[in-house]
Amino acid sequence: MWLDGLAPGDTDWDRFAATWPVPFGALADVVAAAWDATDPVLLELCRLRMATLLASPAEEARRTGRARAAGLDDAKVADLPRWPTSSRFIDRERACLALAEQFVIDANGVTDEHVAAVTAHLGADGCYGFVQALSVVETFQRACLTLGIDSVPDVDALTRPSPPDHAEVPR
Amino acid sequence: MTPRIPLPSDELNPLGLPDTSALAPALAAARDQLRRAAFRMRSVDPVTTELVRIRNARHQTCFF
Repeated sequence: MWLDGLAPGDTDWDRFAATWPVPFGALADVVAAAWDATDPVLLELCRLRMATLLASPAEEARRTGRARAAGLDDAKVADLPRWPTSSRFIDRERACLALAEQFVIDANGVTDEHVAAVTAHLGADGCYGFVQALSVVETFQRACLTLGIDSVPDVDALTRPSPPDHAEVPR
Repeated sequence: MTPRIPLPSDELNPLGLPDTSALAPALAAARDQLRRAAFRMRSVDPVTTELVRIRNARHQTCFF
């Protein structure tokens, strides 16, 4: 680990979270809220595609329990690089993956057509929640890359009771 | 800027942007808490802060 003096923990995430419980607790809450805000299979497919584009092998190797419980299997994940043409993917997933890829590569390049395609499948509220969740997942992955966090608990183990709102960061 | 999705109201927020507070309110509240937590991080030492800045610049391919 590039940073000395981290508290002990089972995973890289746990060590950072034990050292700075307030901000990492708040980030864990945001990640959990993002998974609550949208379909877990859609978000997992986009999370894994983002991990490929951001060159994050640790995130690519990880699987989210909520998506597996909702029916996402390894065969479909293995076919993810072929999402535009693979018969394993339906139009709803293709619309979301197209927007997610553009979002990561250059968010300013997201077009009216990208948004309209997602809205046609998810509705306006669903599109808003999906894009917000995409933004959270991207922020989380970039933060993990920057901080050298390779091992992360599953989303439901990530969230812990946050210290009081007024607490000062201890380090 | 014209919103790309229909919004529940035409109201603007204090920043002059379309008010989206009725959409995904739990996620918005969590993000607000994260902003507050990050703002309070005054006690991270300057060496750690600089190391994080440089590591982030590398990941963003920013050489300035």
